[in-house]
Amino acid sequence: MSSFTKSAQQWASFARSWFLIDARLQPPGKIASMCSVRLQGKHKPIYHALSDCGDHVVIFNTRHIAFSGNKWEQKVYSSHTGYPGGFKQVTAAQLHHKDPIAIIKLAVYGMLPKNLHRRTMMQRLHLFPDDVIPEDILHNLTEELPQPRVIPKKLNEYSQEEIDAFPVLWTPPKDYRMK
Amino acid sequence: MTSRGTPSRFLQSVLQNGLGRYVCQLKRISLIFSKKSPSSRGVREFIEEGVVDFAKKNPGTVVYVSPQSCTTPKIVAEYLNGNVREEAVHSKAAQEVAALVQKLSEQSGLDVIRIRKPFHTNSPSIQGQWHPFTNRPPSIGPVQPRKTPQ
Repeated sequence: MSSFTKSAQQWASFARSWFLIDARLQPPGKIASMCSVRLQGKHKPIYHALSDCGDHVVIFNTRHIAFSGNKWEQKVYSSHTGYPGGFKQVTAAQLHHKDPIAIIKLAVYGMLPKNLHRRTMMQRLHLFPDDVIPEDILHNLTEELPQPRVIPKKLNEYSQEEIDAFPVLWTPPKDYRMK
Repeated sequence: MTSRGTPSRFLQSVLQNGLGRYVCQLKRISLIFSKKSPSSRGVREFIEEGVVDFAKKNPGTVVYVSPQSCTTPKIVAEYLNGNVREEAVHSKAAQEVAALVQKLSEQSGLDVIRIRKPFHTNSPSIQGQWHPFTNRPPSIGPVQPRKTPQ
């Protein structure tokens, strides 16, 4: 303990971490709940509502998020421009086509507490539609968070040996017609 | 008797002083004493013994020594945030005066009032304070996005 001073210790305790999340094939809500905890700093044992101890979160591959069910068609994002007749409603697919980071951004924004710190915390959220991240942000990263959902392997990603080794429950007869 | 009506503030420092470097917040300190009166004897002794050392140790503080024909010797401390504190040192010993001057030079100049949420522990951690890398799984090299098949 003698090698560093109390001020350096204080500095270390309140240093901001930069987390990295890969959003490929992940549900936006689960990504957003991980983010909102870290943007508020609630994962830290030193958390206090008055000490501004939120971290930075970098999310990439937001273009490749995965909604379950039929949310791409049935989930509706509503907004109002403020003018008469200015009520806009777009489906998740339309919104995602227009802006590939909007869905994650709205999900995180909705999960943050509704107070004056919300815009500040949103400024610490960095969203990138693809896996291209600027160099200065890459230098800051300290930890990559595990993805909330395991990405299922596609059939064309299995090798032929793995397919042959897969246990077959039923051997089709030779004259069986595959559909 | 509750203390709810008294003025209070949260624990803070001036402009996060000490987080990076520390700047002494005491701008000017005046020792006002009498050359003759017995109540100023401790201050006079402090001026003979310790005031030069104090001034050399604190180059950011201006020390004034002003003999006046006053009955109550006092120490006037002015801080960078504009606050002025007067402390009466009526018939105090030289050690007490030295301790008071030292205390005034270490204070931030903020009002000494009730602190809200005064967090305190009688058993400080022997493991050291938490920091973001405590209990974090070790990783080799810088964190990079993994290249996934498109």
